Amino acid sequence: MPTTIPPTERLLDLVIALVNTPNRMTKAQIRRSVAGYDAAASVEAFERMFERDKDALRELGIPIETVTDAAHGDDVGYRVDLDAYALSPIELTPAQHGVLSLAARFWQDHSLARDASRALTKLSAVTSGPGSEESVAVLAPRARAGGDAFLPLLDAIQHTQAVTFGYRAANTGEERVRTVEPWRLVASRGGWYLVGRDRDRAEARAFRLTRMTSAPAAVGPRRAFGVPADLDPRALIDSHHGGAEQLAVLAVRPERAGALRARAVPPTDGTGPDDLRFAGIAESVGRDLLHVPYRAVTRMAEELSGYGDAALVLGPTELRTAVLQRLGAAAGLSSLAEEPASGASDG
Amino acid sequence: MAERAPDRLVRLLGIVAFLNRHESVPVAELATTFGVSARQILEDVDTLWVSGTPGYQHSDLIDFDAEAHDRGVVRLTESRGLTRPLRLGTREGVALIAALRALRDLLGSALPIEQAEVVDSTLEALTAAVGDASGAVDVHLATDGRPDVQAAVQSALVSGHRLRLEYVNAADVTSGRDVDPIRLVTGDAHTYLQAWCLRARGERLFRLDRVLSAEVLEELVEPHPVPAEPGSEVFRPEASAEQVHITLSARARWVAEQVPVDAVQELPDGDFRISLRVADGTWLRHLIAQVAADVRAVEPVQYALDVAETAERALAAYGALPPA
Repeated sequence: MPTTIPPTERLLDLVIALVNTPNRMTKAQIRRSVAGYDAAASVEAFERMFERDKDALRELGIPIETVTDAAHGDDVGYRVDLDAYALSPIELTPAQHGVLSLAARFWQDHSLARDASRALTKLSAVTSGPGSEESVAVLAPRARAGGDAFLPLLDAIQHTQAVTFGYRAANTGEERVRTVEPWRLVASRGGWYLVGRDRDRAEARAFRLTRMTSAPAAVGPRRAFGVPADLDPRALIDSHHGGAEQLAVLAVRPERAGALRARAVPPTDGTGPDDLRFAGIAESVGRDLLHVPYRAVTRMAEELSGYGDAALVLGPTELRTAVLQRLGAAAGLSSLAEEPASGASDG
Repeated sequence: MAERAPDRLVRLLGIVAFLNRHESVPVAELATTFGVSARQILEDVDTLWVSGTPGYQHSDLIDFDAEAHDRGVVRLTESRGLTRPLRLGTREGVALIAALRALRDLLGSALPIEQAEVVDSTLEALTAAVGDASGAVDVHLATDGRPDVQAAVQSALVSGHRLRLEYVNAADVTSGRDVDPIRLVTGDAHTYLQAWCLRARGERLFRLDRVLSAEVLEELVEPHPVPAEPGSEVFRPEASAEQVHITLSARARWVAEQVPVDAVQELPDGDFRISLRVADGTWLRHLIAQVAADVRAVEPVQYALDVAETAERALAAYGALPPA
């Protein structure tokens, strides 16, 4: 077996060769002269290897140009465009490098973590020295993965190109195809959202990535739309979550539902007719009166139904109804005892 | 796992570009700058030393000062044209910029102004390098907890003081604990205080929105054997806990995304079955109650029966309330 040159060294030698070629290198020249390729058994094997390497280098941001030369007919040559190769002039202090090192560990998603760590390696070349993270080490911000839809959407945002995907609405469960001009990807409140303009509804919307039922596919031309300058993704996501903040009025058993107590706020003034009436009800059953802010009725009702009889809703009525509905469903779970645990179909 | 060739290549090119701007650099400093071991830097230098332009004679190769190398100092004498630092790919830039912006939002309230300024200037430089798409991704980190709790925790972290917490766990039990704070772990959903719990004599994560009160104590924090990095595994219950399976209808899809499940099995009609390990039955019953209308099966079924009983009791308590 001939000694094989490791892939890193072959890629490095290819870059150096293409950077230094006075004009261009043809595939034949690369195969003949660049270290690592002479071991390839056949022309086909070389072609496969070279195509893979070319893709790998472009993926890293190395601009490999295709150069045709009239004097050599159809024979294609390659070189690295050094002007496109270089990072724009930038110089980082050790403190900035330290902050970047912390930021590079932000992503829990593997592909973004790799992107961030490559970016850090590239930027390390333009720092004046190693940085210290000490100043910000007490903070460890983390972002979770955005799932499979994330990268296609990011590409579409970069290209300002519309996307289409299947989407299941949260409230109805109905599944429909949406066509959206993608503006931003936003992580907020435990989920990833696409914020953009829904073409069918002709208005700005937030879409939760996990409710997409098919992979987003780009449609139509690139540079197809502009992003509004006054875009406020937070407001769009808030309206997705059910809008303005409301106060739940709860009668809570003493010493219980501590997590709700931690979020409780003082009532607006505590002397309105409703406040007095609710206080009276809570007192008559030996419970504490709590006011807890929330936005989405659904989420709040889900949480409250989990507390069972420890926390009862006195108001608003909409929230109380939603909790009672859930408790009814939960009480119905007693029927699971009669069905086989394997979950055989009941038709 | 072995390092992937493209990742190593980016570092090799980075090392040459860095050495082009610095006369002689000790191996240890290169190692810190590029976040790898000194041994890895020596291997990288060895690889660079035998690389070059076709022909691969001595004059074709990247070259270093051999005498300096013997003293543990790296001095580049021939770069074979690799003088410029490599540009950032758009996705690479976006990944780092989004992280920095999230960090800046967090720093704005937590740390002295000089630190926030460092982040701002880094962000500015990076945004200029990436251009148009730099704002494509936005991460809003959670700022959980009562304002007085946040203030106490941040002040204890910065000044290195012990904290006394009143904390409610997932099983709704409130307890007082003295802790030595380590860092704030902030995600898009919740903020956790990573701290050494003196009572448990171990490292624990405390969800900030479950802290009822926090008081900064006179005592300074003591050193504890703490891992440098909180990994994602810290949120997972131990492997020894009980295995539970829940079959849910499509509407409850979020459960598979927000709860640390071991496995998700797809079933006909959009139903799915999650398997998870549960150390704390209270937490599981809470979860089942939340999605009761979408629950098709629970194994062991006892958990579902507990939930049904609790719900009956709650309905009875509602019935016993005086009319509004």
